[in-house]
Amino acid sequence: MAVRIVTDSTSDLTPALAQELGVTIVPANVIIDDVTYRDGVDLTSDEFYRRLLAGPGLPTTSQPSVGTFQAAYKEILDQGDEIVSIHVSGKLSGTVNSANQAKASLGDDVAIEVVDSGGASIALALITAAAAEMAGQSSSCRELAEQVRGDLPRTSAVFALDTLEYLQKGGRIGKAQAFVGSLLSVKPILTLVEGEVHPLERPRNHQRAMRRLAELTRERAPAARVGIAYSTDEAWAAELRSSLSDLVPEDQIITVRFGPALGTYVGPRAVGVALTSAR
Amino acid sequence: MMKVLNGNDLAGALAAGFHCLQRYRDPINALNVYPVPDGDTGTNMLLTMRAGVEKLAQIDGVTAGEVAFQMADGTFWEARGNSGVILSQFFKGIATGLEGRENCSCTDLAQAFRSATDAAYKSVGNPVEGTMLTVIRYVAEALELSLQQDDDDDILSLWGTAYQASRDALDATPSMLAKLREAGVVDAGGMGIVVILGGAYLHLTGEDVEEADLQLATAAGQIDPSQLGSVSVESDFLDSSVESEWGYCTQFLIQGENLDIERVRAELAEKAESLVIVGDDRFIRVHVHMEDPGVALTYAVGLGELDQIKIDNMSLQNQNWASGHQERSAPKSGIALVAVAPGDGLAQLFTDTSGALVVSGGQTMNPSVAQLIAAAERSGAEDVILLPNNKNVAITATQAAERENENQRLHVVATTTVQQGIAAALAFNSQASADQNLGAMNGALIDVVSIEVTRSIRDTTLEGIAVAEGDYMGLIDGDLAVVDSSAEDALLASLAGCGLTDDHIVTIYWGADTDQERVEEVAGRVEEQAPGIQVDLVYGGQPHYPYFVSVE
Repeated sequence: MAVRIVTDSTSDLTPALAQELGVTIVPANVIIDDVTYRDGVDLTSDEFYRRLLAGPGLPTTSQPSVGTFQAAYKEILDQGDEIVSIHVSGKLSGTVNSANQAKASLGDDVAIEVVDSGGASIALALITAAAAEMAGQSSSCRELAEQVRGDLPRTSAVFALDTLEYLQKGGRIGKAQAFVGSLLSVKPILTLVEGEVHPLERPRNHQRAMRRLAELTRERAPAARVGIAYSTDEAWAAELRSSLSDLVPEDQIITVRFGPALGTYVGPRAVGVALTSAR
Repeated sequence: MMKVLNGNDLAGALAAGFHCLQRYRDPINALNVYPVPDGDTGTNMLLTMRAGVEKLAQIDGVTAGEVAFQMADGTFWEARGNSGVILSQFFKGIATGLEGRENCSCTDLAQAFRSATDAAYKSVGNPVEGTMLTVIRYVAEALELSLQQDDDDDILSLWGTAYQASRDALDATPSMLAKLREAGVVDAGGMGIVVILGGAYLHLTGEDVEEADLQLATAAGQIDPSQLGSVSVESDFLDSSVESEWGYCTQFLIQGENLDIERVRAELAEKAESLVIVGDDRFIRVHVHMEDPGVALTYAVGLGELDQIKIDNMSLQNQNWASGHQERSAPKSGIALVAVAPGDGLAQLFTDTSGALVVSGGQTMNPSVAQLIAAAERSGAEDVILLPNNKNVAITATQAAERENENQRLHVVATTTVQQGIAAALAFNSQASADQNLGAMNGALIDVVSIEVTRSIRDTTLEGIAVAEGDYMGLIDGDLAVVDSSAEDALLASLAGCGLTDDHIVTIYWGADTDQERVEEVAGRVEEQAPGIQVDLVYGGQPHYPYFVSVE
């Protein structure tokens, strides 16, 4: 028996990284022009952002179906393993509900623990990666889930967006509604508080936003892990990576791309940093 | 005069109705309170109708009867949601009424709406008035009455009658259904029917459907299809809806042989709410609301093959819907800003960036303590931060803050220029505490250099510099720095005194009497001074000062 980790595609973990970590990814759905794509499976990020920028219709998303979870869970359970299933904030998505329903459908004492990470994207990726590394020493899914839940407050993230338009139109703007205003151009910096989008600051341009992202991240050092996410501009991720390389070695900083599901809400030219503080 | 609609006329009208539905999708979603406030009626109707319209796009020059048949067939297979299934039955009824018809005459149209009404009512386990059913029925009755009363056989004017009847019915829905009244809305599905008929009518009468505004309204006011904020629902209704449990919306298609639809309807009616069942002896589409979707599936799987299973958690949908409304209606927060600003552009800027209440005033017209306190009270917030934005107003703001007030604490961030005020307003975060805000806002002022350009009204000597009447003076942080005969040159010389680098952001707020072309020209010259610098131009509308400029 081993404890295996399942997450969803909003973790933005690349297939290669997921494989290396032994993590199963359940895809969310992205709907463009009323056609449904599985996040990261049927639709690449490049193609997604190309279409997002081409407009005019905005994509929408839906959580993975109960059936998709059932299938993923069954495959692992059939091998005699247990599952810790870690997902995007329940305030942003119904994914945790789908996971719970799938779990309930598989019986009463099934060895699955569903964890609401309260995070998304790179924050969820760091939480998931940490869980995957702890899984080897864990004797049961319950024990591991307890550790993962206890560690959740150690991870948080800050994001700088080019525009709040996508978040607003997608209905996920939460408390960052307060930052909606268009006369002066700003690059809003946001975070998640109790699983919900929360406004932090409004620097006037991209350079200042990048500087503040690094400073806000640094305030939470010392770091056990650092991760970076970007939507369309890989160079920005590289810039942040090198400026934060004193927190953890640069080659240990996980860099991911906001996939189609997340990209629906953060939009192009978005960048974010997550940090898991050291114990 | 047009007596009949041929197949192409009808197909064009339906496509226009679909387009109009698309335009009204979001408002319809926002109005969706019955039977479950889950905000999907517009989408469900749209996706259902799309399936029919796509079939119509593939045919040309066929009979009206064939167009109606294709519409009904397409919508049956893709029907989703309560409203979508009823809509598909509406089209099925229309198709029955027009079966075998080359063209659709006035009599045919009335017959079609009669059979559409019958089909729509029949699809629902327990028909409720004040819904889209009522709207469809009103139309049928109005058409019949119109044909009885006069022998006018103009099909366009009859379509106009149908559209008007649907609007009347929609307006009457709140008087028939208590839930709609409580929420202060009209029926969402009913609006869908109105919008489809309205779009079709515009098309038939040669009007543009692209940007159609059908002038629909709820108790709260006119609905602007391009402004979702124009659709609102009573806040008490929102709160109570979120506290309720809504269960699961469960939809599927049963495929079998010798299915007994009446029996399925009766048996499911015992287990479920909001039952809509349509079909024949080979295919039955089921839409039910249940606490446990498994019960319906277990029952149905015994009857045949299940397909297109779709289960939605309506409590979650309801939460999303309600929070969308709550965010749009922007509840009063615990902390607010009151800013003093001269000029309409600056006032707009403060409101836009921070939701500030603006008191008009500045260098030459200082607001009173009472005005500041009144604005603070109007905000209704527990903590209010005052931005005086002028040296002369700072003392008034401090006096206002010293007044005792049980319900409200007043704070001052002592901004001495509008430029500082904007920087402070951008640092304001309604989600942070008063202390956090005061810290962040005071911190934001430190790096702002304010330049003001104004015209001298007399000959004088200021700070050892001779100034002639009509000269422009450039002030840096309140101190006279340059004098020039042109406002633009005074501005550029002042900026040169700030040691610009490409790391700076220069924001130019131009005054009420300044020409925008000159602003753009001067911006170009600033960019020449410091290549790569960011120069933002904003209309300020302030009097007496051609330019307010910040360097930060």
